[in-house]
Amino acid sequence: MSAIISPIREPLITGNKTYHQITEDLVSPTEEMPPLGWVIGFILSVMGLGVFVFTVLWTIYQGIGTWNLNRTVGWGWDITNFVWWVGIGHAGTLISAILLIFRQKWRTGVNRAAEAMTIFAVICAGQFPLIHMGRIWLGFFIFPYVNTRGPLWPNFNSPLLWDVFAISTYFTVSLLFWYTGLVPDFATVRDRATGFRKKIYNFLSFGWTGSAKHWQRWESLSLILAGLATPLVLSVHTIVSFDFATSVIPGWHTTIFPPYFVAGAIFSGFAMVLTLMLVTRKLLHLEDYITIEHIESMNKVILLTGTIVGVAYLTELFIAWYSGYVYEQFAFFNRALGPYWWAYFGMMFCNVVSPQLFWKKSWRRNIWLTFFLSIIINIGMWFERFVIIATTLARDYLPSSWSYYSPTWVEIGIFIGSLGLFFTCYLIFSRVAPVVAIAEIKAILKYGGNQYVEKAGQGHDSHSHSEDAH
Amino acid sequence: MKKATNNIWVGEKDLTRDEQFIQDSQKELSLEETMVSDSANESLRSNRRDFLRFLGFGLGAATIAAGCDTPVKRAIPYVVKPDSIIPGVATYYASSYVNGGDYASILVKTREGRPIKIEGNDLAPDGLGKTSARVQASVLSLYDVNRLRTPMAKSGDGFVATNWSELDKNVGEALKTASNVRILSQTIISPTSMKAIGEFAIKYPSTKVVTLDPVSYSGLLDANETNFGKRAIPSYHFDKADVIVSFNADFLGTWVNPTQFAGDYVKNRNVSDLSKAKMSRHFQVESHMSLTGSNADNRILVKPSEQGVAIAYLYSQIVGGGSSAGLNDKAKAGLSKVATQLKAASGKSIVVSASNNVSEQLMVNAINNALGNYGSTMDMSNALYTRQGNEREFNKLVEDMNAGQVDFLIINDINPAYFSSMSDKFAQGLTKVKTKVAFGMAMDETNNQADYVAVTPHFLESWGDAMPSDTVVSVIQPTISPLFESRQMEASLLHWAESANYDPKAEQPYFDYLKYSWKDGAFANQNSFASFSSFWNDALHNGIVSVANQSAGNAYADGGSLTEITKPSSTDMEISFFETVNMGNGQFAGNPWLMEMPSPVDRTSWGNYLAVPVSFNGVSKMVGYNDLTDGDIVTLTIEGVEYTLPVVQQFGQMPGTVGLALGYGRTMAGGTGTNIGVNINNVVKNNGGYANYYNDNVTVSNALSKEKEFSCVQYHHTYGVTAEDTATGKVINADEAATVFFDYFTGVTGFQGALTDRSVVYTTNFKDIKEEVKDLTKKRETAQFLNSKQIYRGHDELYKNGHHWGMYVDLNACIGCGACTVACMAENNVPVVGKKEVSRHHEMTWLRIDRYYYGDVTNPNVVYQPMMCQHCDNAPCENVCPVNATNHSSEGLNQMTYNRCIGTRYCANNCPFKVRRFNWFDYTTADIFLANQVNIADEEIPFGADNLTRMVLNPDVTVRTRGVIEKCSFCVQRIQEGKLTAKTEGRQLKDGEIKTACQTSCPTEAITFGDLNNESSVLNKKIESPLTFIALEEVNVRSSVNYTLKVNNRDESFDA
Repeated sequence: MSAIISPIREPLITGNKTYHQITEDLVSPTEEMPPLGWVIGFILSVMGLGVFVFTVLWTIYQGIGTWNLNRTVGWGWDITNFVWWVGIGHAGTLISAILLIFRQKWRTGVNRAAEAMTIFAVICAGQFPLIHMGRIWLGFFIFPYVNTRGPLWPNFNSPLLWDVFAISTYFTVSLLFWYTGLVPDFATVRDRATGFRKKIYNFLSFGWTGSAKHWQRWESLSLILAGLATPLVLSVHTIVSFDFATSVIPGWHTTIFPPYFVAGAIFSGFAMVLTLMLVTRKLLHLEDYITIEHIESMNKVILLTGTIVGVAYLTELFIAWYSGYVYEQFAFFNRALGPYWWAYFGMMFCNVVSPQLFWKKSWRRNIWLTFFLSIIINIGMWFERFVIIATTLARDYLPSSWSYYSPTWVEIGIFIGSLGLFFTCYLIFSRVAPVVAIAEIKAILKYGGNQYVEKAGQGHDSHSHSEDAH
Repeated sequence: MKKATNNIWVGEKDLTRDEQFIQDSQKELSLEETMVSDSANESLRSNRRDFLRFLGFGLGAATIAAGCDTPVKRAIPYVVKPDSIIPGVATYYASSYVNGGDYASILVKTREGRPIKIEGNDLAPDGLGKTSARVQASVLSLYDVNRLRTPMAKSGDGFVATNWSELDKNVGEALKTASNVRILSQTIISPTSMKAIGEFAIKYPSTKVVTLDPVSYSGLLDANETNFGKRAIPSYHFDKADVIVSFNADFLGTWVNPTQFAGDYVKNRNVSDLSKAKMSRHFQVESHMSLTGSNADNRILVKPSEQGVAIAYLYSQIVGGGSSAGLNDKAKAGLSKVATQLKAASGKSIVVSASNNVSEQLMVNAINNALGNYGSTMDMSNALYTRQGNEREFNKLVEDMNAGQVDFLIINDINPAYFSSMSDKFAQGLTKVKTKVAFGMAMDETNNQADYVAVTPHFLESWGDAMPSDTVVSVIQPTISPLFESRQMEASLLHWAESANYDPKAEQPYFDYLKYSWKDGAFANQNSFASFSSFWNDALHNGIVSVANQSAGNAYADGGSLTEITKPSSTDMEISFFETVNMGNGQFAGNPWLMEMPSPVDRTSWGNYLAVPVSFNGVSKMVGYNDLTDGDIVTLTIEGVEYTLPVVQQFGQMPGTVGLALGYGRTMAGGTGTNIGVNINNVVKNNGGYANYYNDNVTVSNALSKEKEFSCVQYHHTYGVTAEDTATGKVINADEAATVFFDYFTGVTGFQGALTDRSVVYTTNFKDIKEEVKDLTKKRETAQFLNSKQIYRGHDELYKNGHHWGMYVDLNACIGCGACTVACMAENNVPVVGKKEVSRHHEMTWLRIDRYYYGDVTNPNVVYQPMMCQHCDNAPCENVCPVNATNHSSEGLNQMTYNRCIGTRYCANNCPFKVRRFNWFDYTTADIFLANQVNIADEEIPFGADNLTRMVLNPDVTVRTRGVIEKCSFCVQRIQEGKLTAKTEGRQLKDGEIKTACQTSCPTEAITFGDLNNESSVLNKKIESPLTFIALEEVNVRSSVNYTLKVNNRDESFDA
C-alpha cells in the first residue's frame, strides 16, 4: 500500500490507535459474550428466518397459487425481491474491488462488512429464482449438465439462464474475495484464542503464519480477485436487467436498463451498507474505524448514483414520449398515473428527491439523517423494482387482459423472511469474524491514523487540530 | 394328491411313493426344513422365510415412508375386442342433442367406448347441425358425479335406493287406482316418445300431457296458434333479411334455435369481399345488453315495461292503429326510422320479439305479415317445434293439483319447482298429489319432492328420435352402455302401459320400439329407400333424415286481442331477467364447464351479477349507477323480496334499469351449481298467467360490502368509448380518460389514443369501410416495412417448407357465443378451477373471447375477439424460456413441452397476447403431492379429478400437472391425426381436412384453420380480404392468426 494520504484529508482512523489497540478493538467482539442488542436482534432474525422457511415450504407444497400472481402478472414480489437483493449486493463488490483498484483507502473501514453483506444479499437473492419456479424439484433443468435426453441443453438465448451464470459467478467470486481477506484476520483471532476456538480459527485461517511469502501471495490474490470482480459489478446487474430489456413488453423493452440497473444497484447497495454499518459501528464501538468521514464518502456515492437513477427515470419518460409508440407511451403514463401511481410516486420520492438532501455537507455528516435516508432509499429501490415488474405487466398490450396484483400473506412472509435470513447471517458473521479488516486497517494506520495525519498536516494547517476544522 | 395320478414325479421319493414324503407334500410349506434351529437362544429363532418377511416389511415400510405412493390406475384390456373399436382411433356416431328446448344434430366422438366430444353434424339440413356451448358441454354431464345410480323411492324426508322391479310394482299399483294422471314434461319433439305417451294414455285414459319450457314461449306460440292455427314457431331465415328488428329476443344466444339463426345471420353480414359488400341492418330494442344486442348495429333502449308500447308503436307505423302512450321519445324517434327502413325492405326483413304477451306477439305477427315476410324470410309451413310449453295448461295443472284433482303426476325431466314463477304454488300442489313419479338423471328441486325418481339415462346412453321441424327427423343413438341402473322415460311408460309393442325382456327393448315406430313414421314418409333396414342404417349413419312436410299450408289470419299489451310503468327502476348462453334457466347449473364459462357479455362466471348502467362523469371516471363499482355487494329488493348479490357495471344498460341473469341460485344442483348466485324466478312478473321476464317494483341499495370472489375474467371492457368531456365540451375517448387513477393535482385527464391507437382490433362503420380499409392497409404496410428492417433474419424461409399452420378469425362472423371456448376445454382437457380461482384470474381457458365496447359510452357497439395462442413465428415466449420447454415446430406451431417446463412463467409475462396459462394449483390432481388438492366449491375432490369425470378426458391430450404453463396448441393432436391418416392412405393432406375444435364448434364458421403454405387453401383465400389484419403486427412477433376489421352497420342518424 503505497499511497500517501494527502495532509488535507481527514484521518481514516481516529483515537490515536496503536496496532495493539486495533487488534484489541476488532477481535474482542469475537471473544466476548454478545450484548443484549445483538441477542434481541438475533432472536428477531431467526424468527424471520423461521417465517422464511415456513412460507417457502408452504409455497412448494401448495403451489404458486398461494401467491396472488395471475394470468397477466406472472412475476410480482418474488422477482422484485430477487432484483432488490442482487442490487444490494453490489455495494460490497464495488467497495472491495473498484475502490481497491482506484486506491480509495477509506474503503478499508467498511469493506469487510460490505463484502459480507454482498454474500448474504446474494444468498437471499438466489432463493427467489428458485422458489418462484412452479416445479422447483426440476430446477436442475436450468443447468447445462450432460444428459441422455438428446442431449438436451438449456436455452442459451434466455436471460434467465444468463442469470443463473451471472449470479453463480458473482457469488463464487465474492465469496473467494471475502474469504481471502478474512484469512490473515482469522489468524489474528487464532493467535489470541485458546483451546477449541484456536483449532477452529487455525483451520479457518489455513495455517496462516504471517510470513512475507504469505503476505505477498495474499496481496497478489486480492488484486487478481479484485480484477475479476470489477467487471462483475457491471455485468451482474446488466444481465439481471436483460430479464426485462430483452422482452417485448412495453416498459420492459428498454435499452437504458443496463446502466440504469447498475446505478440503481450501487445506490441501494450503499444505502444498505450504511444501514448496517451505522448500527454495527454503534454496537461494536467502531466509531474510530468507521468515521463520519466514511459515512460522508458513502453519502456522496449515494448522491451521485441517486441522481443517475433520477436522470434515468426522466430519460425513460422522455424516450417514451419521443418514441411516438402508443404502447410505450401508455406504459409510462400508466406507471405514473395508473392504479399503481403510489408505487411510482414512492419510487420517485425515495430515490430521486430524498438523496438530494445530501448536497448539504452537514446533512451528509448527520448520522441520524443518513440512517433514516438509507432506509428510505432501500424502500424506494424496492418500489422501483416493483414498479418495473408489476405495473408493467398489469397493463400491457391487450386491454382485455389488464389486471391488478397485490401480494398474499405468503409473499409478504417470504420477503420478511428473506430479511430474517439476511440478518441472521450478518449477525452471526459479526460475532465470529472481525467486521473490520484488521490487516488492512493496520496497513493504512501510518498514513490514515489521526495522529499521523495531523502531524503531517501541521505545516499547512497549523491553526486547528480538531476533526471539524475541515 | 393328484400328483399320484399323473406320471410326473420329482425325485426318488416321489417315484417310490414314500409315505413320509407324501405326508410332507400335503403341507403347503414345510417349515421344519427351513428352520435354522438355535436352541440356545429361543428368542432369536428365525428362518429363511423370516428373513424374506423382514426384508419385505422393510422394503414396504421404506416405500410407504418415502411417501411417493403412486395411486393404482386400473386399466382393463378387452378380452374380446369389439370390431368397431380400435384403441387410439376415434369412432363417431351421429345422434341428436335435445334438452330444454335446444336442439342440435350432432356427431359424438368416442374413444375406446367413451364419448368424449361432441361435434356438429355437417349433414344436417337448415343449419340444424351446429353446436352451442351447451351442446359442447353436454358430454360432461354424462359423467356427472351427481347422477343417480339407481331409481330412488321416498322414505321419510329422504330417499332410498330401490330397484326397477320394486318401482314398477309400486307405480303399477298406484296407477291402477289413479283417476287423474298428468304428465308434466319439457317440450317433447320425439315422435316415438309421443307414440309411447299415446300408448300410455290409451291404457290410462285420464292422462293429459302438460308441456312447459324453462323460459316460456307461450305468448309467441299462442299468438301463432291464433294467426296460423298452428302452435309452432316459424322458420326464420336471417340470411334473407336486410333489416332485422328484435324486441328483446336473444336470437343469437338463447332464443328458440340460436345456433341455426346465428349461422344464417352472419351470411348476410359478410363484407370480406369489398366489391360485393352488403350488410343487413339489425336493430335491437331492449334495456339490458344481450348477446344479440351486443351484435346489433343499433340498439334502441326501452325499459322492460315499455316493450309492449314499443311493439305497438312500430305496429302503428307499419300496420296502423294501436296505442303507444308511455314510450320514451328517443325510442319513438328511433322506431319511426326503423319503420321506414322496414317498409323499404318489405319481404326482406324480420321482426321478432321475446315477449311472452300474446297481444304483443300478435302485433309482431301482424307487422311481419304487413311487411310480407311470411313466405320469404319466415316460413310457417316448415315450422320449428323445439319449444311447445303451454303456460295456460301448466297454470291449470297447478290449480288442479292444489284442488286435489290430480292423483298421479309424472314429471319428465323438468324443474318447475325451481324455474317457474309459480314455484311455491306448484310445490304446494305437489303435496296434494297422491303419487308423484319424476324422471330425471339427478336430484333437483322438483325431483326431491317426488315419491319416486325413475332415473333416466343421459342422452348419450339413450335411444330416441327428434323432429325439430316439419321436414327433418333425427336419431338419438347411444354411444356408451348406461353407466347406471337407469331406464328411459319412454321405456318406463311403455312398461307401465303394458304395451303390446314393447317387449321388456328384449335386450334393448326401447330400441326395438323405436324401429317399430320409425317403420310407420319416417320410413313411410320418404321414398329414397325401399327396405326399412337400409333406410334405418342410413338414418343411423347420417343421424338425420329429411321427410316430406305433412303439415298444412297455414296462411296468416288476423285474430285475437291486440290491446292487452304490457302497461308501461312509471317507477324509477325496472329490472329485466334474461337467459345467458351458459346457464339457461338453471338446467345447466350442474355443469362445471358451463358454470366456469364466462357469460359472453358481462364476462362473469360462477354466479349472476346485477348489471347496473354505467356512464362517464365527464372528467376521468366511469361511474356506475348509484356509484356502484364492479363487485360491490348490494341488496336488491323486488316486490319486497330481498336479494344480496354483487353488481357488475354493464355498458349499454339503459339508465333506470338493471338486469339479472336467470338460472342461478339453484338449491339442488350438485357440487357445482348449488347455491351459486341468486334465484329470481319467483319474482318474475306474471301477467295473465304468462311469465313476463321483468319487474318494475325494484330498489337497489348502496354498496354494502365488496364481493371477495368477483369472478370476472375481464376488468377492462372498452376500446375507446366516446363521451363528452364536460370541461371542453369535446367528445373524447372516455375510457382513455378513465385510465388515470391519480393526477397529482395537475388536472391530467388521461391519454387520448391510449386504446384506440392500438393495433389489437379495428372497427368501422359500413359506410366508411373503404376509407378504413385504406387506413388499415397503410398501417399494415408501415408495420411490415418496420418489421422488414429488423437486424435478425428470422426463420421465415424455413417455414415456407412443408406445412405452416395458420388461422383466420372472422370478427364479422363471430357473435361471441362462446361455443368454441367450451369446445376447447372439452378437446384439450382444460381444467375447471372454480369461483375463487377465477376471481383471482387463475382461469385456465386456452381460448377466450375478448369483448370490447366501442362507440358511444351509453349505447355502444361491441366487438368480440376470440383470442388464443397466435403461434408467432418470432415468438417472444420461446426465446425467454430457460429450459427450452416452449419451442417452435418446423410447421410453425408454438409448442409446449410440459415435461420440460419448470414454471418460471417468463413466457407468460412475455406473451403480448396473454394467452399462456399457468397451473397455479394442482387442478387436475396430477401432482406428486397427494394431499395437495385445492378444495373448490367444497367438493371433496376438484372438478374432473374423480374417476367418473375423468372418463371425459381426451386421451390424446396430456393432463397437465401443477407448476407448468399450458396454452392453445392449435389442436396439435388433430393435426397429427390428420397427417397420419393421410400418410396411411398414401396421399397428400387435403385442405380443410384438419379442423380445430374451436373451428368445428363455431355455429357461424368464424374460425378457419389451415395451411398457410398451401396457396389454394380456403385459409389463404380468406386472408386475401383487404379487411384482414394481424393483431400487434408492428411488434413483429409474426403471428399466424389473422383477424378481420370489424364492421358494423350502425345507422348514425339515430345518435343525433
